[in-house]
Amino acid sequence: MWDTFIVTPLTNLLLWIYDVIGNNFGLAIILFTILIRAVTWPLNAQQLKGAQAMQQLQQDKDWQAIQKKYKDNKEKLAQEQMRVYKEKGINPFGSCLPTLIQFPIIIGLYQSIIRALAATPLSLLQLTRSIYPFLNVSILIPLNSHFLWMDLGRPEFIKLFGFNLPTLAIIVGLTTYVQSKLTMPPPSSGPKDQGAAMGNMMSIYMPLLLFYFALTFASGLSVYFITSNMLGILQYAMMGKANWRNLIPGAKKS
Amino acid sequence: MKLKHVILVAIAGLVLSMLSACTAGAMSGSSWPGLAADETTAYLANGTFVYAVRLGDGMETWRYPEKADNKRLFFSAPLLTSDEQLIIGSSGSDHTLFSLNQKNGSENWKFTGAKGHWIASPLEEDETIYAPNGDGTLYVIGLDGSLRWSLPLGDLLWSQPRTDGSLIYIASLDHKLYAVDPQRQELAWEVTISGAIPGSPVIGDNGTLFVGSFGSKLDAIDITRHDIRWSSPTKGWIWGSPAVDAETIYFGDLSGHFYALDAASGEEKWAPLQPDGPIVGSPLVTPDYLAITTEVGSVYAIDREGKIVWNRLIGGKLYSPAVVAGDLILVAPMQADFILAALDKNGSQVWTFKPVKK
Repeated sequence: MWDTFIVTPLTNLLLWIYDVIGNNFGLAIILFTILIRAVTWPLNAQQLKGAQAMQQLQQDKDWQAIQKKYKDNKEKLAQEQMRVYKEKGINPFGSCLPTLIQFPIIIGLYQSIIRALAATPLSLLQLTRSIYPFLNVSILIPLNSHFLWMDLGRPEFIKLFGFNLPTLAIIVGLTTYVQSKLTMPPPSSGPKDQGAAMGNMMSIYMPLLLFYFALTFASGLSVYFITSNMLGILQYAMMGKANWRNLIPGAKKS
Repeated sequence: MKLKHVILVAIAGLVLSMLSACTAGAMSGSSWPGLAADETTAYLANGTFVYAVRLGDGMETWRYPEKADNKRLFFSAPLLTSDEQLIIGSSGSDHTLFSLNQKNGSENWKFTGAKGHWIASPLEEDETIYAPNGDGTLYVIGLDGSLRWSLPLGDLLWSQPRTDGSLIYIASLDHKLYAVDPQRQELAWEVTISGAIPGSPVIGDNGTLFVGSFGSKLDAIDITRHDIRWSSPTKGWIWGSPAVDAETIYFGDLSGHFYALDAASGEEKWAPLQPDGPIVGSPLVTPDYLAITTEVGSVYAIDREGKIVWNRLIGGKLYSPAVVAGDLILVAPMQADFILAALDKNGSQVWTFKPVKK
């Protein structure tokens, strides 16, 4: 199921792009990511709107009053929260549902990149079995996994002064940090602003997590992460939702 | 807030394990086993271990290394050298080529100069090891493990080189067959064919090299003119190396057909046979019959007239070619209850080997 509906179609799409653009796998991953981002653009927009609505709700006086009033009655609190959601037309899962939908795409995308690179005989045999007839794979194989200075099938390092510098992993960490900071809404004055605390936490954990992924796994995944982050930043900027001030340490919050 | 930290860490762990799972399989060298044998022992490269198994009773005599190291994965058929070394390279994230003592599995030396997976078995010729690597380079190493010279050739080199005593012939997935002059330490010539070549070329009697490819053709290449003498189309991609026996070329393809062609003309000797599944491994030539393995897990014995002598379902998936050792035919299945099986000449199972967990 997973293979038939996620990995195989993504692999074929990736190989088709690779074929069309003249056998450049790095460029194929970038275009592939742009395509995936374009398809999931409405989901991302919905996620951002949902997150902002939830953030604004934290500052709502009615909401704060409910929290205070029913702090010892969780059942009643949940009922009241649902009432407010309904009244204000907010979907409490509006921010996390799109992320959950994208999660299989990210995993499938990574698996399709790895499958397409086919680094071992068994993986090459599996690749030959998952190609749609319209692709002339006998000409495409082996895929050219070299892009700029990288071998996309391996983690990337640049040797500098005797050290292996993981440049792509650093860029992944930085762009993830920038993206998460830009999308962080301005915090409310309340010390119990859980949304802001969560956002702060995410802006630390996510870059570290993706940095580790980039450090450990095939650099093709790093190319995907960087492209995806850049497009995310672009989308937020185009929607006018990017908080550029968040990037300046000590800057006054807008 | 602590709960949220825990949830975040758990999600991170889940993503990490999912990515690790697909990465470990694909990038770190999950593949089918490699098998070699001498008069007394079978040597099986199967994942984290290389096993030495006694032919008499199918019992393990040694394994290398003693403890599994996931960075070192072994899948190529080991090379057994004239001075009783066993040469095997790692297909894991560690790209070391090892020399082991055939008798006890102790380490003789290591070569760490390659950058890619060791998928191909090396070749020994004139006390020299010719070892093609996944980084596209042919490494030429002395029997003491010292690098003599190396030659960057093409893309992925996945098959054992062959020699006619003059040149070394190496097939590549980059659709090329390379002829290397070991005296001059340089490329003598190369020929481009219609697809990737995952199997070894085979040298015929009349100055011809035979190679199968993903171009769905078996090509006969003229060694003196360096061009294609004839091509024979097949129904599927050819993975394994063909076998030459007298005037006939035998090989199978991924569509599950088994062919016999006249070496001189490329004409079919008999209509292709259709065993029960795709054929990845090379045919084994014995005095009595040809033995082939299929993905479905069967071994077929086929006589030279194209008649099936016997067939036996072993189980699992058989991608590695069968190997003859004395009176036994050895096969190494994937995804079966055992990792090595010995058959007698009539196809009856003599023993199976399943490693004991240590």
